[in-house]
Amino acid sequence: MSKRSLAPHINLFDFSAREVAAKTKPGQFVIVRIDEDGERIPLTIANVDTEIGTVAVACHEVGKTTTQLGRLKEGDSILDLLGPLGKPARIEKFGTVICVGGGVMTAPLHFQAKAFRDAGNNVIGIVGATTKDHLIFLDEMGKTCNELYVATDDGTEGYKGIDFLKDLLRERKIDRVVAEGPILMMKAVSDLTRQDGIPTVVDLIPIMVDGMGMCGACRVTVGGKILFACVDGLEFDGHQVDFDELLARLKMYTPQEKLAYVFWEEGEKLR
Amino acid sequence: MEASKAEPRIGVFICRCGFNIGGVVDVPAVAEYAKTLPHVVFAEEGLYTCSSAGLDSIKKEIEKFKLNRVIVASCTPATHEGLFQKTCEEAGLNKYLFEMANIREQCSWVHMRLPAEATEKAKDLIRMAAAKASYLEPQTETELDITPSALVIGGGITGITATLSLARQGFQVHLVEKEARLGGMLKHLYKLQPTEREAAEILREAIAAVKANSNICLHTSTHVTQVSGFIGNFNATLQSNNSSQAERIKAGTIIVATGAEEFKPTGLYGYKENQNVVTQLDLEQLLRNGNLKKPEKVVMIQCVGARERTGRTYCSRICCQVALNNAFQLKKLYPNTDVTILFRDIQTYGENEHFYKEARDNFVNFIRYDPNRPPKVTTGPDGNLLVTVYDTYLGAEIELESNLVVLSTPLVQHEDGKKLSSVLKVPLGADGFFFEVHPKLRPVEFASEGIYVCGTAHGPKDVVESVSQAYAAASKASIPMAAGKIKAGAVKASVNTEICVNCDACVVSCAFNAIEASPFGLPRVIEANCKGCGVCASECPMGAMQLKQFKDDQIIAAIEALFKTGEHKDAKGDFKPVILCFACQWCSYAAADLAGVSRIQYPPNVRVLRVPCSGRVDVLHVLKAFQSGADGVVITGCLIGDCHYIDGNVKAKERVDVMKKSMESLGIDQKRLEIGFASSSEGQKFATMMTDFVKQIEKLGPRPSRPKPRSEKLVHDSVKT
Repeated sequence: MSKRSLAPHINLFDFSAREVAAKTKPGQFVIVRIDEDGERIPLTIANVDTEIGTVAVACHEVGKTTTQLGRLKEGDSILDLLGPLGKPARIEKFGTVICVGGGVMTAPLHFQAKAFRDAGNNVIGIVGATTKDHLIFLDEMGKTCNELYVATDDGTEGYKGIDFLKDLLRERKIDRVVAEGPILMMKAVSDLTRQDGIPTVVDLIPIMVDGMGMCGACRVTVGGKILFACVDGLEFDGHQVDFDELLARLKMYTPQEKLAYVFWEEGEKLR
Repeated sequence: MEASKAEPRIGVFICRCGFNIGGVVDVPAVAEYAKTLPHVVFAEEGLYTCSSAGLDSIKKEIEKFKLNRVIVASCTPATHEGLFQKTCEEAGLNKYLFEMANIREQCSWVHMRLPAEATEKAKDLIRMAAAKASYLEPQTETELDITPSALVIGGGITGITATLSLARQGFQVHLVEKEARLGGMLKHLYKLQPTEREAAEILREAIAAVKANSNICLHTSTHVTQVSGFIGNFNATLQSNNSSQAERIKAGTIIVATGAEEFKPTGLYGYKENQNVVTQLDLEQLLRNGNLKKPEKVVMIQCVGARERTGRTYCSRICCQVALNNAFQLKKLYPNTDVTILFRDIQTYGENEHFYKEARDNFVNFIRYDPNRPPKVTTGPDGNLLVTVYDTYLGAEIELESNLVVLSTPLVQHEDGKKLSSVLKVPLGADGFFFEVHPKLRPVEFASEGIYVCGTAHGPKDVVESVSQAYAAASKASIPMAAGKIKAGAVKASVNTEICVNCDACVVSCAFNAIEASPFGLPRVIEANCKGCGVCASECPMGAMQLKQFKDDQIIAAIEALFKTGEHKDAKGDFKPVILCFACQWCSYAAADLAGVSRIQYPPNVRVLRVPCSGRVDVLHVLKAFQSGADGVVITGCLIGDCHYIDGNVKAKERVDVMKKSMESLGIDQKRLEIGFASSSEGQKFATMMTDFVKQIEKLGPRPSRPKPRSEKLVHDSVKT
């Protein structure tokens, strides 16, 4: 494994996994486990190198497992990496495609943006984060996209918030919007494109266990139907997703997650 | 110089409270001990610290010793904390740099026969207070302006009454009614008891008064579709049915008076299948419009779709009196008509009881039915109805012929009410009606400040009760509007965006809509909405969210200070557990106080640390207590359902449950952690909980110095690549 810091507590990892790399398409994900006792966490694939056989994932340290991952050193290895899982994103020549990436998810979004460009689309990129220091993949997105816009919640860089997208949608003819990032960002983007009927897809990565459609932990409600993100997604129609339910389900295990983190960080002192 | 940055200089004032503390606790020894604590530069005992001489002494010593933290060790903060804080402010010390140690209710009064142990405990409590005080920070309180206008939602008699009450006090009122005409349920009613005035007449007068008042802006055929903001500064979007353009208005307060609707018992007793089966409301409309053909025999069935085992479990309160009133009106119109009421229990409280007696004596037959064998309504070949009922008094089945069956059904919440609940982000109870913050003490208020509820939106009520509640809600709403400003306390959540990982756990956990998330995940605390429970801080995985005055470092300092002495043995060398109790500042702390006031004795092993809500207790705090050497940790909160922050205690319980499952892996017996709930009147219960917990810990014995080996590894059955 090799590792590169993208922003405070956000790292990009390259794992050697030749077979996985060979089969991966943009929009798919892997499930990793650090050790025998480890939690299984889904991470969307941010890039592959089929020649040297590596799979890249970006990870934000938000709890026990992600922090543990973040503390691994160059050359360390993890127990296993399962994938590629999920359906590939729909990449076609649509015309003009807006790719909106928020926070750590900008990295896997870039993988899709490249594919859209290679398919002959005019790609408009939007990179967003809470604040200037947390913006990632600006250079990569700048090189890949025909145009690039930057936004932050606090306005420390680029536009403040996501509302500027409204003007962009009004001024230009947009054929498709792809959003990958925090739930509220994907919801806001979908709300903005809904009235103009611009096809909008979002990549959902809820709590998962097996990642192969067996357990149902990752269920999402899309257009009133219950679907599994792991096998029916990650890509879904943003205008149909029940984002409020998704957010509530994502926070279902907040006490357990905090406990795992605190016990891991502090529990050693008791042993 | 800013107090938070300067080296802490703590002054400790220990009160004898006459004989109350001094008679048990060795106060001079405690004062000498306090002087040895880190950062304590002054400690002194006083006879009554709350006396003017005592307060003068605090002011004098602040000046003389340049104190930048003050601790008073005396009684419960519930009585004198405000007084001591004010005294500090008068001496130029920010009131948030004051801390209290309760050595009366939690010490001398509950360990009256154990002076040595009480003295030890007093020292511990002061050591905890001093450790926390070192980490206190000065705070500023903000003042908010209140827009002197109200939004009243619902134009029935309740909403109209609240509107008129506020408008006549000189406030601007936006009255929003979803229908084209004002009046709500009263539009459909006939004559109201006890005066027998026609509902239409009452309405006519009320509507005329609304139209004549220039302070009222009436919006009919309109829905409230969006509300943002907070007390004093709400922004509401009003959508009229007649216009595509929405109107935006500002309001300082909001009153919910959206009423309720009658449950339509489709499929029960032939309703909707036979036109001679109607509800009480249908009957009133027939009476009101003069459309009722004379029925020879009328049977009314009570509790149709109410008091069920699940779902509508509640009693709708008004149906018995409505049935009686309608029976009375029928008899007036057609004296020869027979009226029979089939009931489960007649609930005619107050004055209505006389009415029931009169009906029973004079003109109505009553038959008590068994809900397990409900009446049956069938249609005979002649189209007449046949009601079969098992009379519980006779113990036999009776058949009644009838031309008209009237079903008494409950009031229920309507769809628009449910929608409004999510627009305003105020809760509905299990019965579907709007849920007030406290059933006894704050019956017309929501937990979200500046939003009030009245009338049948809050639950079934008659007109008199609805109107009284309307006055109550209007009166409550007028308080902040008349003051023009409110002062907000400084105990609020605040987020360190540097370490925030934008997970939205705080946003989801907040019961008051006080944390707003931005699209990319940056949370923002809306201080005006924050109630200071600290639930968000305990949910935050990173410690980025903190509650001022109850920050992690402040709480942990107190915890670590408690266990600093490491003494868990008594004079004879026997095990003497030291137990930490996190008590929420509302009911459970008050219960501990009551145990003190009532002189209920319990073992002296427990040290209470006050937190705003049991929901503020973080897994980190519990773990720190065990790390520092706690023999046991107990968390106490308000009774489930009575939390002052809606459900902080439920969240605390969830956390304890998950901790119990995991703590054995750290070598700590899960019986060393408990959670209990007590109301402020349950002093005995608090004492019993503590006694039982101490016994439980004594039975477990000291914590093993070498923890048990870790439980066996989980077997994974997952698929490997």
